Amino acid sequence: MNVRSIRFRLGAWYAGLLAVLLVLFGGFIYITLETFLKKSLQDTLAKEARTIGEALLSKVRQTGDAYVVDEIEEHFAPRTTSHFLRVARSDGSLLYQSGNPQDGTFDPLTVTKATLGQPPSWHEERAPSGGKLVLYSMTYTDSGGIQYAVQAGASDNQIRRVLDQLLVSLSIALPLIVGVAIGGGFLLTRNALKPLRQIAGIASKITSRNLNERLPDIHTGDEIEQLTASLNRMMSRLEESFHHVHRFSADVAHEIRTPLAILQAELEGLLDASELSPESRNAAVSALEEGGRLSRIAEQLLEMTRLEAGEMLSAATCFDFAEMTRATVEQMRLIGDEKQIRLRFEGSQVVRVLGDPVRLRQVVVNLIDNAIKYTPAGGTVAISSEIARNKAILEVADTGVGIPHEAIPHLFERFYRVDGARSRQLGGTGLGLAIVKSICTAFGGTVTVQSSPASGTTFRVELPLESNGVNQSPRVS
Amino acid sequence: MRLLLVEDEEKLARLVKRALTSERFSVDMALAGREGMDLANTYDYDLLILDLQLPELSGSEILRRVRRVNPNIPVLIVTARDAVSDKVAHFEAGADDYLTKPFAMAELLVRVKSLLRRGTARRENVLRVANLELDRLTQQVRRGGRIIDLTAKEYALLEYLMANTDRVLSRSMILDHVWDQGFRGATNIVDVYVRHLRNKIGDEDQKLIRTMRGVGYSIREETT
Repeated sequence: MNVRSIRFRLGAWYAGLLAVLLVLFGGFIYITLETFLKKSLQDTLAKEARTIGEALLSKVRQTGDAYVVDEIEEHFAPRTTSHFLRVARSDGSLLYQSGNPQDGTFDPLTVTKATLGQPPSWHEERAPSGGKLVLYSMTYTDSGGIQYAVQAGASDNQIRRVLDQLLVSLSIALPLIVGVAIGGGFLLTRNALKPLRQIAGIASKITSRNLNERLPDIHTGDEIEQLTASLNRMMSRLEESFHHVHRFSADVAHEIRTPLAILQAELEGLLDASELSPESRNAAVSALEEGGRLSRIAEQLLEMTRLEAGEMLSAATCFDFAEMTRATVEQMRLIGDEKQIRLRFEGSQVVRVLGDPVRLRQVVVNLIDNAIKYTPAGGTVAISSEIARNKAILEVADTGVGIPHEAIPHLFERFYRVDGARSRQLGGTGLGLAIVKSICTAFGGTVTVQSSPASGTTFRVELPLESNGVNQSPRVS
Repeated sequence: MRLLLVEDEEKLARLVKRALTSERFSVDMALAGREGMDLANTYDYDLLILDLQLPELSGSEILRRVRRVNPNIPVLIVTARDAVSDKVAHFEAGADDYLTKPFAMAELLVRVKSLLRRGTARRENVLRVANLELDRLTQQVRRGGRIIDLTAKEYALLEYLMANTDRVLSRSMILDHVWDQGFRGATNIVDVYVRHLRNKIGDEDQKLIRTMRGVGYSIREETT
C-alpha cells in the first residue's frame, strides 16, 4: 500500500482523530458517571443519618432505646442494604450499631468512631474486602442538649462495579467503531478517488500526437467535475499553443523562404548575364553564397522549432543504433581520407533504440563532420557505440586541439562559435551542435562534451535503450 | 512542351517563368488558386508546378482535383513547407516531386526535365556509357573490359548516374537517392564520392562524369 496516497493519509487521519475523540468522550462519561454515583450515595447516607436524628433520637426519652433500635432495623434494614449505621451516646457507649453487611464488604466493629461536636463530615476508609467505605458522621443534639454521634456508611463496591462495566463496554466498543469507520472510510474514499485515477490514466496517455483528445465530460457537480473541466480547458490551451507554434513555423518558413528564393533567382539571373565586370560578378557570387547560408540557417532554425514542439517523431522505429553508426562511419570514411584523417569505429554489440533513424543519423553525421573539421591532418576520429548503465552510448573522440574550457558550457547554444571566423570560413551555420542537442532531447537522450588541449575532444551521446519500455520512450503514442 | 506554373509570389513566378522559357518551354502562369485551377481544366499541360500556399484555392486542393481527372500528368510541388509530414502527405496525394524554397533555378530545371522524361530511365540489365559497363545482375562494373572494384555506395552512385545517362542530377537528388536526409550535415559527401568514383573508373583520359556547375553531375559520352 502506498502510504503517501491520499486514500491512506485520509484514512489514517480520520481514524486517529476518531480514536482520540472516542477516548476523550469515554473518559468524560466515566468521570461524570463516577461523580454522579458517588454524590447520590452520599446523599442517601446523609439523609439516613439526619432522619435517624430528627425522627428517632429527638423522642428517645419518651420511646426508650429499644424502640429506636427496632425502628432503625425496620426502616433502614442495614443488613439487607449492606449499609453501616451507628449511633453513639456522648459517653461513648453505643445506642445502635448495624451488624455484618450481607455482601461482607466491611466489618462494622473496625469502623472508626466519630468524635462528638464535630460538624457533619465525610471521609473514606479502606475496607478489609479491598473496596472503600464511604462514611458520613454528624452530631445530633436533641432539645435537652444531649448529643449523639450518628454515622452512616456504605461500601463503594456498587459504584466500582458499574464503572468497571462501563470501562469494559467502552474498550470493546471503541476499537470496533474505529475499525468500522476505517473500513467504511476506505470504501468511501476508494469510490470518491476512482474518477481521479481514471483522469490520471487518461491524462498520461495524452501526448503531442493526440492533443485533440479530451477527458470524458462528467456532470456530478462535485470537485471532480471541476477538475475535469479545468484539465480539459488546459489541454485546449495547450493544443492551441501547439498549433500556434506549428502555424508560426509554417508562416515563418513561407515568409523567409520566398524572398530568399527570389533573391537567389535574381542573383543567378544576374550571373548568367555576361556583361558583368569581375568586381560585380564577385559581389553577386558572394551575395549568392550568403543567401545560401541564410537559407540553411532558416531551415535549421525551423527544424529545431519543430523538434522542440515534438513534431517529426512519428517516424520513430526500433533499430540497431550501433549498426547505423557503423554504416555511417563507412560512408564518411572518404571525407576523412580527403583530409588525411583516419576514422575508426568500435562496437560489436547490438544497441537497440527507439527513434527516427534518419534524425539520429544526422546526429552521428554532424558529430563526425564536426570532428573532421577541427582535427588537423594526420589525426584520428574514434567513434564507438556500446551499452553502458542501461543506455545506448555513442562517443565521437577526435585528436584535435580541444575546446577552451570556458566555451564548453555554451557549445550547444544556438549560434555559439568557439572560433567564429574559422567556423564561418568552413561554411558552418553555428547551429550544427544545437541541432544535435535538439534531436537527442527529442528522443529522450542527452549529449555532453569533454575536452582537453592535450587529448582532444570527446562528444558523448546517451539514448534510452528500446528494452527500457514505454515509459522512457520519446513522446510517441 | 507546355507547363503550368501556379505561384502567388509574382516576382518569383516571373523569374521561374523566365528560366523555363529560356529552356524553350512554353509556360502559363497563374498567381492565384482559382485561376490555376481554371487553366489546368482548360488546357492540356505536360507538367504542373504548384505552390502550396495560394490564395482562394490551396495547391493541395488543386493537386487533388487534377489527380481525379488526370492521374498521369507530372506534378512538381514548390513550397516553403518542408516538414516530413507535409512531404509524405503530398506524395500520397499524388505529387511526383517536391522542391523546397529557396531553390537554385538550375535545380528546378533539372527536376522539371527529369519529370518530363521520367518514363525513359534506362531499365536494361547492362548499362553502357562509352566503354564503361555496369551489369545490374552481377553488380559488376568494367571499363574497357577491366573489372573495377566498387563499394556498395560507389556502385549505387554510379548506377543512379548511368540509369539517367545524359541527364543532369542535382546534388540533393543524388543525396536523397543514394544516401538519405541524415547525411545533409556531412560536408559535400556527394562531391567526395564523385571525385573518388572518377578516380576508380579512370576518368582522367576520357571524361564521362561531368560536373554541372552549381547544380550537380551528369554522365554522358563525349560526343560534342
